[in-house]
Amino acid sequence: MLKKRLIFTLLYNQGQFMLSRNFRLQKVGDLKWLQTNYNFSHISYSIDELIVLDVTRGERNTEDFCSALKTLTEGCFVPIAAGGGVNTVGHARALLHSGADKVVVNTALYEDDGFIGELASEFGQQCIVASMDIKRAPDGSYQAWAECGSRCMEGSAKHWIEANAGNAVGEIYLNSIDCDGTGQGYDLGLLDQLPPNMSKPVILAGGVGNAIHLAAGFADPRVDAAATAHLFNFVGDGLKQARQSLIADGVVLPIWDVQLLEHHLRLDDSQGQDD
Amino acid sequence: MGASIAVIDYGMGNIWSVLSALRYLGCSPTVSGDPKEIAGADVLLLPGVGSFRKAMATLQQKSLDKAILDAVQNRGSKILGICLGMQLMGSRGSEDGNTIGLGLIPNPVDRFTAQEAGSSKIPHIGFDVVRSSADSSLFRGIPEAADFYFVHSYRMLADGLSGKKATCKCGVDFLAAYEQDNIFATQFHPEKSQSNGLMLLKNFLAQ
Repeated sequence: MLKKRLIFTLLYNQGQFMLSRNFRLQKVGDLKWLQTNYNFSHISYSIDELIVLDVTRGERNTEDFCSALKTLTEGCFVPIAAGGGVNTVGHARALLHSGADKVVVNTALYEDDGFIGELASEFGQQCIVASMDIKRAPDGSYQAWAECGSRCMEGSAKHWIEANAGNAVGEIYLNSIDCDGTGQGYDLGLLDQLPPNMSKPVILAGGVGNAIHLAAGFADPRVDAAATAHLFNFVGDGLKQARQSLIADGVVLPIWDVQLLEHHLRLDDSQGQDD
Repeated sequence: MGASIAVIDYGMGNIWSVLSALRYLGCSPTVSGDPKEIAGADVLLLPGVGSFRKAMATLQQKSLDKAILDAVQNRGSKILGICLGMQLMGSRGSEDGNTIGLGLIPNPVDRFTAQEAGSSKIPHIGFDVVRSSADSSLFRGIPEAADFYFVHSYRMLADGLSGKKATCKCGVDFLAAYEQDNIFATQFHPEKSQSNGLMLLKNFLAQ
């Protein structure tokens, strides 16, 4: 049986990694800072998947992003998805050649121009993650927003989720704009916007502040993967401990030996230990 | 270790992460699409993601199919096929029409049928449990039920194979890993499977 997934999402903006709160960005530090202060490669030993998004508002520099992606993914032994403004096959290919296994598409999902089909026929639909930013309207209904949460799409979120799920994508990433970065927990109401016969994996994102919030996501059978983008809430060993407590509580996550990774497994060392 | 390690580059899939895993283990692999270099390497890794037919056509076009067989069958070089790389080592594949494979593993590669998959989703994507036998050299030091990362819609079955087999269940039991003499293959991605995958790569290289 397939295991559930714990996903970490990194937000990139012109060479810097960011915290986002309700889609307003705050600078955290660059790649070097991330390694020094958060020992990022060790964080990656406690997740099942990494998502890296270029959330730069306005013009993005794909070359710089790809080079950051390459540095990040060296020494990261889980599947990696990357995206941010992807709307050409060439852009997707550049990410896939920089360490990504999957491409995250958001705004282009709403254009009726055959791009998703084109991506799928080039790389396979398992390669495409449909990322949707959802916000609750004052009347309690949900709507989908494009362009980093700046353009509200006409029609209900339900309509768009169903349309995207029926497209040639591999999975759906649902992010709550309202809960994003608040650390107050997921908006589980997003899951009620899913079609009843949803056949594609669902990643839930937005709002996680601690392991209890992750557990609440995993407790819903409609959730295949729980994501968090909150670096500060999982400082130091935070993510490692969250993972351990989730596994202890019966969440069916993959099991591996984090210590082996931390001690650096090497071919020329029969003990599997080094420096 | 003086063995020359070559990762076969034929333009299909994420070679970057295989290289990253080999470098982590302390190896200095070369990346090559040159049949002469491939035929002369001691250790071959055949990664790949994508269509069987397209991949096989590319290998033939670049004469890499002959180079691989020459290295493995005449020179005794060891090979590890990963994902599509494993499938290409099969007798034939039915993705995009029937195509003859390298024939290093005598079973065919077909899509999971609806009957096989049952309620399991296809493509089969994510970490899943692989069951190996205690005498496996690839899985030495790895629990007999361990998690590895898969992403595929086609599978090889274990029926009738004489080498050591590891299996995974996606509706039906399918071949997750295989080893026979100098031939090794995994349907999953060891380079994406944390310590379990790195241990397996280490075991392969240490053979």
